[in-house]
Amino acid sequence: MLGFIGRRAFWALVTLAFVSFISFVIIQLPPGDYVTAYAAQLRHGGEYITATQEAILREQFGLNDPILIQYWRWISNIILRGDFGRSLEWNAPVSELIWDRLALTLFISSLTMVFTWAIAIPVGIYSATRQYSVFDYIFTVGGFIGKGVPDFMLALILMWLGYAYLNMDVGGLFSPEYRAAPWSTDKALDMLAHLWVPVVILATGGAAGLIRVMRANMLDELQQPYVETAYAQGLSERQVVWRYPVRVALNPFISTVGWALPALFSGDVITAVVLNLPTTGPLLLKALQMQDMYLAGSFILILSVFTIVGTLISDVLLAWSDPRIRFA
Amino acid sequence: MSTKRLFRVLLVAALSSTSLATAAYAFQEAPMLAEEVKAGALPPVDQRLPLRPTVMQTEGTGAYGGTWHRAYKGPGDRWGPTKLMEERVVKFSQNDAGGLDLVPGYIESYSVNDNATEFTFTLLEGLKWSDGEPVTTEDVRFWYEDVFSNKDILPSVDTIYAPGGKPLAVEIVDERTFKVKFEKSYIYFLTILAKDSTGEPSLDRASFVMPAHYLKKFHPKYTPEADLAAAVKEKGLEKWTDLWGSKGPITAWNMNPDLPVITAWKVTVPPPADVMVMERNPYYYAVDAEGNQLPYIDRIEHTLFESQETFNLMSVQGQIDMQQRYANTGDFTFYKENETKGGFHVLKWINAETWSLIPNYNVKDEVLAGLLAKEQVRQALSVSIDRDTINELVFAGLGESRAASPVTGSPYYNADLESHWTAYDPDLANQLLDEAGLTERDDAGFRLRPDGQRLTLVVEANDGSRSNVLELVRANWEEVGIELQPRIIDRTQFDSNRDNNDFAVQYTSFDRLSVTAADPRLLLGDDSYANQWYVWYETKGASGIEPPADHPIRSMWAAWDKASTSATLADADAAMNEAIATFVNQGFVIGLVGETPALVIVKDSVANVADGLVNDDVTRGEGLARPQQFYFKQ
Repeated sequence: MLGFIGRRAFWALVTLAFVSFISFVIIQLPPGDYVTAYAAQLRHGGEYITATQEAILREQFGLNDPILIQYWRWISNIILRGDFGRSLEWNAPVSELIWDRLALTLFISSLTMVFTWAIAIPVGIYSATRQYSVFDYIFTVGGFIGKGVPDFMLALILMWLGYAYLNMDVGGLFSPEYRAAPWSTDKALDMLAHLWVPVVILATGGAAGLIRVMRANMLDELQQPYVETAYAQGLSERQVVWRYPVRVALNPFISTVGWALPALFSGDVITAVVLNLPTTGPLLLKALQMQDMYLAGSFILILSVFTIVGTLISDVLLAWSDPRIRFA
Repeated sequence: MSTKRLFRVLLVAALSSTSLATAAYAFQEAPMLAEEVKAGALPPVDQRLPLRPTVMQTEGTGAYGGTWHRAYKGPGDRWGPTKLMEERVVKFSQNDAGGLDLVPGYIESYSVNDNATEFTFTLLEGLKWSDGEPVTTEDVRFWYEDVFSNKDILPSVDTIYAPGGKPLAVEIVDERTFKVKFEKSYIYFLTILAKDSTGEPSLDRASFVMPAHYLKKFHPKYTPEADLAAAVKEKGLEKWTDLWGSKGPITAWNMNPDLPVITAWKVTVPPPADVMVMERNPYYYAVDAEGNQLPYIDRIEHTLFESQETFNLMSVQGQIDMQQRYANTGDFTFYKENETKGGFHVLKWINAETWSLIPNYNVKDEVLAGLLAKEQVRQALSVSIDRDTINELVFAGLGESRAASPVTGSPYYNADLESHWTAYDPDLANQLLDEAGLTERDDAGFRLRPDGQRLTLVVEANDGSRSNVLELVRANWEEVGIELQPRIIDRTQFDSNRDNNDFAVQYTSFDRLSVTAADPRLLLGDDSYANQWYVWYETKGASGIEPPADHPIRSMWAAWDKASTSATLADADAAMNEAIATFVNQGFVIGLVGETPALVIVKDSVANVADGLVNDDVTRGEGLARPQQFYFKQ
């Protein structure tokens, strides 16, 4: 087991080095650089800076250096000093920017994940054990719609309905009077009143897919001879289903924990933009659009770390939960 | 007209400098400051205000207090918050007749010598920074000697501050008076100051003054290397110059709450907070006609947002107290439908722009360049477009069909130029194209170029919402045998195609059409229809492409050279008008629909927001409405 983790850790480092370089290069592949993107953004809003001003900014940010030197400056600071550099767009340390938004992001995404599983697992099991029943059809149709409608679209529709017919305060996580206020009980309550919208939207999209997976796995398992044997032994349906096929059908969930970890960290990007959530997702999107390479690069690096660690965890979990799986 | 304008400027200057000199009544202040005075944390208001404060014109006397909620897009959107409260020695102000005047800001008076080479400014007596320190010519000297002339901070000076290559020179006369000198006459310098202030690195700060008493701590001339290194390290930077510049964490006003300012508000919670907060400056130098210290509003909160839908929802929910920036003309109906529910109303300012097709006269395709050089072809491309339909379908009928020429309210407005080549006449277009020798057609009915290829124009736009305009133009041009291929591309790509001279036609807003003299670059071809020629002109032939010897663009440049070195406003404006007339009459740019309304969301509880203002970068957007005198009705 230890040898396994050690080998994986070594390859993880190699992968990380590779990912960090590739992502740094890819961020800068589009034409121009941060200053070009900044000037384009200004121009879009009807403001202009001169070529001289652009040149001064480029000089100040060290964008004239070759890409290898820029990469080295960034990665060496991370390795030697744990310093992720400064965001060009936000004019602030990258770590501070991400850290500021991380708590809320983790809170929303874990809540969403719990909610997703709480819907998907029981519904999936029900659909499989009562295949082709009325409720199975209803869940199936609902599931396909939930999977088919993009989350951001659902967000827009829900926000509009909330605004036009329910007189709700939509968009953001707080009412205007609490946005600039320090944390208090009232502010926390206000957040809870807003929180259900993103959680419902994100959970429906996620749950719809998982219901299908759960249902398909269960159906496979329910055909197995061991299920029949269990019934023949006189066990009740509840005992049979929950003790055997469900445990096996859960394997795909466990092996996707690896992907859940980075998803927790970044949240859902587009939906968060539409809902104006103060999470890390919109930060990443903007950094990529603006070619803010230190922020975007660090972001992707952290996401990669989470993916690799997450995969490792899910491998270990899988081996622990299912004795049939052995370390190769 | 121009002389009259100058006269009016001087009159306003005289009025504002004297009107309160004889006033016997006391000044009033905001309740939140009165409390601080009572607690002994602040000196009384008459000690904070200058001896004779500037009287700002107000739409009506207001009441103190309140928090102004608006939305912004993060530090990249620095101009949103900045333009609300920029300070200049002179600023644009729109008079009742709709014209634009220059009015003095934090100066007592200014004068210009006869040949417009010397500009003398006198600071208000008793003017103070937001920390209570006096503003003197030491702050001017510091800006000029240690910042503007310091090659480490400012490696190169923009040409608008160095006409003919020699940067402006500053002479300190006494504690309140200083002179700015040029080698050549430069009457437009005042206009430049009103728009661009004194440029980098104090791009968004008051012209000429920087808080020397604070900034000396971050300058190697005044501070030992070790202390400076500590300051640099504390901010997580590498070298001392990183502290400076428009993005430096020390000199960027929006990042540094400690930086003393003279603006009406100062930042208290900087980005990256989700809500950026600004609070009133207790030392602000202006009062209303009754002696109330401005601004009326206590705080401004800018909420971070990303998508247009979020902004629209915030507006109709009544979460925006006043905002023009980001209110989308295309969403006019949506705003209007929800006015009552959200408790706001929509004002219409005028965008100083014309949405235009910009052909590239430096295009690498020589056959196409040859065709575009023909006046008949340019006229045909223009008169074959049905502008009224575009206005109705795309702009909800809110704009007007017009050429790319100065807008209503601009001192250079001319009704004849505005309608140049804008009447829809496909027959004339067909005839003109035939005359230009484009008589051969292919099977699909499109005209063939002299090299036998189909006459196709690839038109680029940088936003998906623009595609409907391109579709309408495509149908119009097809009628006269020209094929249009639309391309919607990313805006960074759009800009770099232009920089790399890699486009045939682009569809975008042709703006800065108010006081064109403050920024005529677009008109002269820069970043537009003849970017490479302009580079040649600006670099005096060092790079770029040389235009043909008899090309009319040369006469435009000559006219601008004359305007920018004139001694009187009358001469300068005459030359400017000549350049504009050549530009429009040559039809270099195909203007479609312009003077579109800039929508302003105003809560019903907010007062003193004027309607019908000119919205332009030159007139400083929302700043033209003087937000210092907005107030909340009690």
